[in-house]
Amino acid sequence: MPQNWTAVALSRDVPPQVVIPTVVEGRELAVWRSQSGRIAAWEDRCPHRGMRLSHGFVRGEALSCIYHGWSYNEAGLCQRIPAHPDLVPPDAIRVPTLTAAESDGIIWVTAESTDRPPPKMPGFTPLRSLTVEVPASTITAVSASPIGEDGDLRLALAGIACLLLVQPLPGDRTALHALVAAGTSPTAQASVSRALEDLRHQAETERQAA
Amino acid sequence: MTDNPMLNEWYPVGILTELTSEGRDTLLMGEPIHVARDAGGNPVVATKDGRCLPVRARYGHVWTSLGTPAKELFDIPEADQPGRRLVDVGVVRVKCSPLRAVENFLDIAHFPFVHTDILGAEPHTEVQRYEVQIREEVDEVWATKVKFYQPQAAKSAEGGITTDYMYRVPAPTVSILYKTCPPRPGEWDVITLFVQPMAEDLCQVWPWMALFDDQTPMTDLIHFQQMIFLQDRSILENQLPRLLPLDPGMEIPTRADMTSVAYRRWLKRHGFTYGAQLVAA
Repeated sequence: MPQNWTAVALSRDVPPQVVIPTVVEGRELAVWRSQSGRIAAWEDRCPHRGMRLSHGFVRGEALSCIYHGWSYNEAGLCQRIPAHPDLVPPDAIRVPTLTAAESDGIIWVTAESTDRPPPKMPGFTPLRSLTVEVPASTITAVSASPIGEDGDLRLALAGIACLLLVQPLPGDRTALHALVAAGTSPTAQASVSRALEDLRHQAETERQAA
Repeated sequence: MTDNPMLNEWYPVGILTELTSEGRDTLLMGEPIHVARDAGGNPVVATKDGRCLPVRARYGHVWTSLGTPAKELFDIPEADQPGRRLVDVGVVRVKCSPLRAVENFLDIAHFPFVHTDILGAEPHTEVQRYEVQIREEVDEVWATKVKFYQPQAAKSAEGGITTDYMYRVPAPTVSILYKTCPPRPGEWDVITLFVQPMAEDLCQVWPWMALFDDQTPMTDLIHFQQMIFLQDRSILENQLPRLLPLDPGMEIPTRADMTSVAYRRWLKRHGFTYGAQLVAA
């Protein structure tokens, strides 16, 4: 069964009242966390003038567009148009939303409707994310590891068991969300982080040589 | 582009005082052109294959056209009014549709969010009803009786005031703003947006001003406007789609957007679609 959840970020990299841009299956998205901690993934476009919502700002449980301040509630419905403070916006003004969920410190997004919860990665703890200027196929070639059905690539870095959640991005780029074996010491985690950067360097060099 | 009415319009391609005899290369609607001055100091514009283009030297800028303009360059009577300081602000290159650059200039509702604490500030976000018309006799879009609260309306303004505005669109990539003039009540400051369409999704913006302001140093006037346009650029380069949608459905206007609605209608009526998309993608 093909996986339908894509890992897009570590939970701790999107703290409350922060919004970031990302791409899932070619769709440009704004992923954001409300003040109370709720995570959401929306189309990265305000229906008013097409401005990217990932440039917007979070107040309370709403995301606002930076262009004209139109704010959208957790369902993606426009709830306020500052140019017309007394107007109740019609329900037709809404941002298309996707499903976002968190599992063990990872933010997952799916463009499909699903009953299946996001995958679990037992025995691993989130380390960091990084973007590599190569397609996912180059990562698998360089690491000599296949990608599992949850987008997970398992390998040893600095001699420690690691797991990379692979997120394909447009323009032959790839985001890697790295996890390490639970209980790895901070010193060893730093070594894994450096090994990860070496892997990136190796993949990008490989790419240039090809 | 064979049947493109926008080819016959005038466009800014440089600042008069910055012309050199060597000249410089630039792009107009995808066509490479060369802008220079001749031995007599007059501006000359030619295509790469040596075709000389019509030229006008007006409002601090060189104007040209790739086609045969049916109309003379639009008039700004205030440009000749004694006592005004004429300010060539410079150039800002923006990766956006030239039409989106104009539309943004016609918009006041973004002031509190994009030009925060300068041209607008929360909670003063309301846009009062104003008047918009396409003036058939001159074939221009006009918005009048526009009012907005501004914390610092101009370099010469101290403290917040409610500013009156009028907007005028005399050509598809030109907008002229008339604005309350703090030191001289009863007169209007003139701030223009001259846009050079380089490609459908790339333009150069040449703001120009005719102000009643004897006090503010020229560099401060220029820096103030450049700061405003750089703030606008962060918006303009992040709108999707890149081209301006002229058909309804792709974007949702409200009453505050009446000027933009009229502008889009006027563009569509004239077939001014370079930088626009007609079918909702």
